[in-house]
Amino acid sequence: MSERAASRTTIDWHEVQIGDAIPPMVLVMTPTRIVAGAIASRDFMPVHHDRAYATVQGAPDMFMNILSDTAYCSRFLTDWAGPDAMVKRLAIRLGVPAFPGHDITYTGKVTAVERDGDDGIVEVELQALNDLGEHVSGTTTISLPLGGAVLATSSPRT
Amino acid sequence: MSDAELMRQLAALVGQPISDAGPTVAPDPVNQPMIRHWAAAFEDWNPVYTDPDVAARSRFGEVVAPPLMLQTWTMATPIITGIAERGGSPTDASRAAVLNLLDEAGFVGTLASNSEFEIVRYLHLGDALTATTVLESVSDEKQTRLGTGHFVTWVTTYTVGDEVVGRQLFRILKFRPGGESS
Repeated sequence: MSERAASRTTIDWHEVQIGDAIPPMVLVMTPTRIVAGAIASRDFMPVHHDRAYATVQGAPDMFMNILSDTAYCSRFLTDWAGPDAMVKRLAIRLGVPAFPGHDITYTGKVTAVERDGDDGIVEVELQALNDLGEHVSGTTTISLPLGGAVLATSSPRT
Repeated sequence: MSDAELMRQLAALVGQPISDAGPTVAPDPVNQPMIRHWAAAFEDWNPVYTDPDVAARSRFGEVVAPPLMLQTWTMATPIITGIAERGGSPTDASRAAVLNLLDEAGFVGTLASNSEFEIVRYLHLGDALTATTVLESVSDEKQTRLGTGHFVTWVTTYTVGDEVVGRQLFRILKFRPGGESS
């Protein structure tokens, strides 16, 4: 799986259309990924780093914390939209847990494109699936500068 | 305790601060080392988080913290010893009354279900963040695939000085593991 790198350029709001797909993001789910995210987000609940503890709680394994989920949603959006994009709103609902060994694929599509003064507003519906089902579903709003930003020069999409 | 008595005690907590300890003050101001640690953990190499030159030319004008790192700054510094015995609570003081009440009634399982952020502005290096959390609601008893439980919702307002920089709605399910009847 090739690395999905953060875009260095910001997409042009004028080119964004309802129905546009966000490039998918695949997370290979290792115990290390789950533990790294839990500790970096300062969530020390043992179910997010201790398999034995998690199994006593009735889960088959440790699982990813919700702060990691919102972090990955944010990365999924800005890897695509670029460094001048601002995440204004993110609302997620958790479904099946994210366990080691169950890779997650994030997909999303643009559901609204609006103008708000000097900002271009884009709404996105997103979903993260693993082989157990829907891990995350959510809606989000990002804003893009309309011509004001130095970095907003080109679209990374073809 | 009867179900009715439990609901009465839970209802009395709604609209109140989640903790008697008052607002949570971030132990450290927004800083580059914690941002870099976070960015590495999530492999999020958006340059405005860690590259001062790119950030200076961006709409933000300077390095900013990842927006969804908002909740991280005010997470309690944990006391590792005994954390499992406390059911994962980082400290004794961080235990909310609503959770104690539900634990004592047998709803000892905890699962996050919803997180909703409104980001008013991105945080800058040096911002000192405070979080004020109020219990928004406790649902009636629900049947879920994990067992019987109550959804607990709280709302956090994040401020820097008097300025509101973000808001978060957070919902968890407190459930009886195994789905035994009450």
